Amino acid sequence: MLVVLGLWWTLTSGCGLIDPNRFPDPAETWAALQQILTPGYAGGTLVQQAWASTRLVLLGFAVAVTTGVPLGALMGLSRRAESLLNPAFLLLRPIPPLAWIPLAVVWLGLGDGAKILVIWIAAFVPCVINTWTGVRGADLTLVAAARVHGADPVRVLLEVILPGALPMIFTGLRLSLQACWTTLVAAELVGTLYGLGRVLDSAYRDVNPAMILVAMVTVGLLGAATTRLIAALERGLTPWQV
Amino acid sequence: MKDIRFDGVGKTFTTRGGAACVVLHDIDLTVQAREFVAVVGPSGSGKTTLLRMAAGLDQPSAGEVRVGGRRVTGPGPDRAVVFQHFALFPWKTVRQNIAFGLRCQGASRARQTVAVDRYLALMGLDDAADRYPSQLSGGMQQRVALARSYAIEPDVLLMDEPFGALDAQTRTVMQEELIRLSRQEPRTVLFITHAVEEAVYLADRVVVLAHDPGRLREIVDIGPTRAAEAWNTRPIHEVMELPSFTHLRTRLWRLLRDQIRPGN
Ligand SMILES: Nc1ncnc2c1ncn2[C@@H]1O[C@H](COP(=O)(O)OP(=O)(O)OP(=O)(O)O)[C@@H](O)[C@H]1O
Ligand SMILES: [Mg+2]
Repeated sequence: MLVVLGLWWTLTSGCGLIDPNRFPDPAETWAALQQILTPGYAGGTLVQQAWASTRLVLLGFAVAVTTGVPLGALMGLSRRAESLLNPAFLLLRPIPPLAWIPLAVVWLGLGDGAKILVIWIAAFVPCVINTWTGVRGADLTLVAAARVHGADPVRVLLEVILPGALPMIFTGLRLSLQACWTTLVAAELVGTLYGLGRVLDSAYRDVNPAMILVAMVTVGLLGAATTRLIAALERGLTPWQV
Repeated sequence: MKDIRFDGVGKTFTTRGGAACVVLHDIDLTVQAREFVAVVGPSGSGKTTLLRMAAGLDQPSAGEVRVGGRRVTGPGPDRAVVFQHFALFPWKTVRQNIAFGLRCQGASRARQTVAVDRYLALMGLDDAADRYPSQLSGGMQQRVALARSYAIEPDVLLMDEPFGALDAQTRTVMQEELIRLSRQEPRTVLFITHAVEEAVYLADRVVVLAHDPGRLREIVDIGPTRAAEAWNTRPIHEVMELPSFTHLRTRLWRLLRDQIRPGN
């Protein structure tokens, strides 16, 4: 940490190797941080802007998980559902989530709804694909073992197939959450009143590299923190994994 | 206690190309109530398929399987299966694994606890009760699998090479343990194995399957010798040195080798 700081200072203010107009030095960045913390920047303080983004990420993520995991499970369980939905996925997957923004805005206007829709589209796919893979790869011997000890199909699903798929499902959740953050910030760049994407956009217009850096680091930290939360949840829910 | 009857049972799988592959042909075999029958045969002779049909996991293409006089159409609480690779639920503790079948049957909490505690003690698993399968040795895992199957008190136990994944040492211990268990809790057992010694040591009768298509080759009676020499009460290494034991083992070896030799 200190080494990075030292190197940063040396390269920028120390020997002027890097033009301060291209990359901010530590003092400028500190000043930018102070500015956005107390008076605020681009319509809100750092906490307000970060919360605006986090709220949308969590909402979009929740919608993606509650729709994607059941759908993936259905596709993993039923050949019929798989052959019905797989072609749709093959068609939709090459479309970048951001390409949905115009349509989302036409449908839902410039409010939160359009952003949540775009996040949902981006985050939904990893949830579905990973749950699908996990459920389809269920250990058939364990399914047979459950059946010969008297389990009905519902119990087989809840106590054998889903626990077995849980590691894959969590892989999906992690990818999905990352997709939420990348998509949201990009969506906010396009047009919004609040959020870290808005901060980035304003800082870009103001040619304020220090503020850009502050916003980017904040996105990184928030993304890492929420990913940590998912990992903690996974550890709690899969105590048998070492 | 129920018996198992295979009546003219055949099994044909259709491969992806549409070709029919006869795995078992015209099997007639009755495992009497409380009898322990071992099945040996070359790899691919349909031993597992035979067991799966008795379990209700596969349906015969010809003939029928009856357990206790009732035709088998699917899995049922009168039969339990012990698998080669244990097939324990990795996300359940030892206790939860053993209780699984009882929970499926809707047994009360109290009854589950009583049964689980009994099998934990019987199998020497008390200290492992709250561990996960991945934290157990292979021998302990197989004990849990046996306990899980015994706990639903099935009439019939179907075991598919249950000790095949264990090292020689552990395997011997488990064989003795199974003898002890079947003395305390006699069941009708169909036991698949590759190991001729194991079959002779454990079974009342040993069925030899021929290969391609799988069919009955011979049935060797062990019961009378076992009873006359009181094998069940003697340690395994002692039994395996008896002339009667080596005689039966050699006889089975010959039968099996004739199956394996190419061009037979
Ligand atoms: N679901 C299936 N579809 C097609 N063929 C199958 C299927 N199950 C088994 N077979 C074939 O049936 C034959 C017998 O299989 P089975 O597993 O019963 O043999 P086995 O005697 O148990 O062999 P091993 O000693 O190696 O366990 C094999 O040739 C196998 O390829
Ligand atoms: Mg087999």
